[in-house]
Amino acid sequence: MSEFEPNIVAFLCNWCSYAGADLTGTTRTSYPPTVKVIRVMCTGRVNPLFVAQALHRGADGVLISGCHPGECHYMKGNFLARRRFMMMKNLLEFMGYDPRRIRMSWVSASEGKKFAEVISEVTRDIAELGPLQPNKS
Amino acid sequence: MDMEKLRDEAKRALGRKEIESLIGYQAGSYGFRVSAAFISSKEEVDRLIFSPLCALSLVNYLTIEGRPSPAAGDKKAKAGKTAIVVRGCDSRAINQLIAEGGLSRDRLYIIGVACSGVIDLKKAEARFPGTLERVEIAEENENYLISIGGRTRIVARDELLADTCRTCQYPTPLIFDKLVGDKRKGSPACYDDIKALEAKTPEERREFWRGQLSRCIRCYACRNACPLCYCDGCVLDKLQPQWVKRSVDTAENIMYHLTRAFHLAGRCIGCGECERVCPVSIPLMKLNRKMEQDVKENFNFEAGKDPAAQPLLNTFKVEDPDDFVL
Repeated sequence: MSEFEPNIVAFLCNWCSYAGADLTGTTRTSYPPTVKVIRVMCTGRVNPLFVAQALHRGADGVLISGCHPGECHYMKGNFLARRRFMMMKNLLEFMGYDPRRIRMSWVSASEGKKFAEVISEVTRDIAELGPLQPNKS
Repeated sequence: MDMEKLRDEAKRALGRKEIESLIGYQAGSYGFRVSAAFISSKEEVDRLIFSPLCALSLVNYLTIEGRPSPAAGDKKAKAGKTAIVVRGCDSRAINQLIAEGGLSRDRLYIIGVACSGVIDLKKAEARFPGTLERVEIAEENENYLISIGGRTRIVARDELLADTCRTCQYPTPLIFDKLVGDKRKGSPACYDDIKALEAKTPEERREFWRGQLSRCIRCYACRNACPLCYCDGCVLDKLQPQWVKRSVDTAENIMYHLTRAFHLAGRCIGCGECERVCPVSIPLMKLNRKMEQDVKENFNFEAGKDPAAQPLLNTFKVEDPDDFVL
């Protein structure tokens, strides 16, 4: 049995974090192959239910990443996302999910190195927590 | 509570040309039950009651026919008004609905009653099992005078009062056209039970909710009774994509309740209808009150206080907390 490799779903905004992830690749910076990237046009597009659904359907952790506050391509999408994400995170935490499984980060298009760091950190945390046990009846 | 005053106000309201009908409370068919009264003429007003038995929220009847589309909204606004008897919690629901555009203030005539709290039907029926005669309740100091079949018994108010009413902050309606009864002071907010659950480990909390929600029979009563769940196409009914499976299974039940609670974030006005109607007594208000507490602490926002407020999750402040962001 090999070591546990977390399964992380990452929602990346098209304009910053997705481009940031691209930069990580083009600069040949390595990071753990644990993320499944879903590109969205803006973090504001991420329905908080996506986060709950991902955990419900087998992800060990979820990451939402977008532009830094004030740098949103659509002016305020990330501000709105921040509030919604926080409420969802608090609710999931209250219902017994470890908060380290539910993460948010700001990564700009020029922060390829930061993207690699974020993924490494999230992967490390979730690897420590182990797989998310499904809610069996 | 002076019932005659309420009936007088109702009579006066129905005498006005623009008011088509009135929604209030009337005695139920048996025991501690009351039901909604739909009244359209002055002669029927004597049916109206208001007492600590009146636990159900009438606000749902305003939105039950579906939300008027913005275009139809104007037309309906001209069609006439509905009068409604509201308690403190109901008034907040109405405020929140107006704030969201789900209800038009112009269509309403609100008769507010300063509420002293309602009884918990489950507690009352456990205390007086098998009561079939109609019950009447009056209040005296800190006691309820309960008349069942001609006999009057005195029970401490504390014994039967609904849990939600113990921590009611707004017993006096916040929005009304006419107020019946004297204004009452609310109790301070108390989130001790939430804090106690928060202090546990994630595993303990998960076990707690798994245990509670495994009992859910997915009757959807909590959603249907909620005055703020009024979307025409509820996400929980969708088949494509199917967010939550219909099967009664703990994992799906957890998703169901998570979705329901999240959709009330910054919207729940704490009336406790969901918990009251739950046939298996799941402490649903714990989820709602957790959200309420977080909204208050982080965004200094309370749902249903101001009909002109922007819905919480549709707005933001640059200085919102972001200590959780990497």
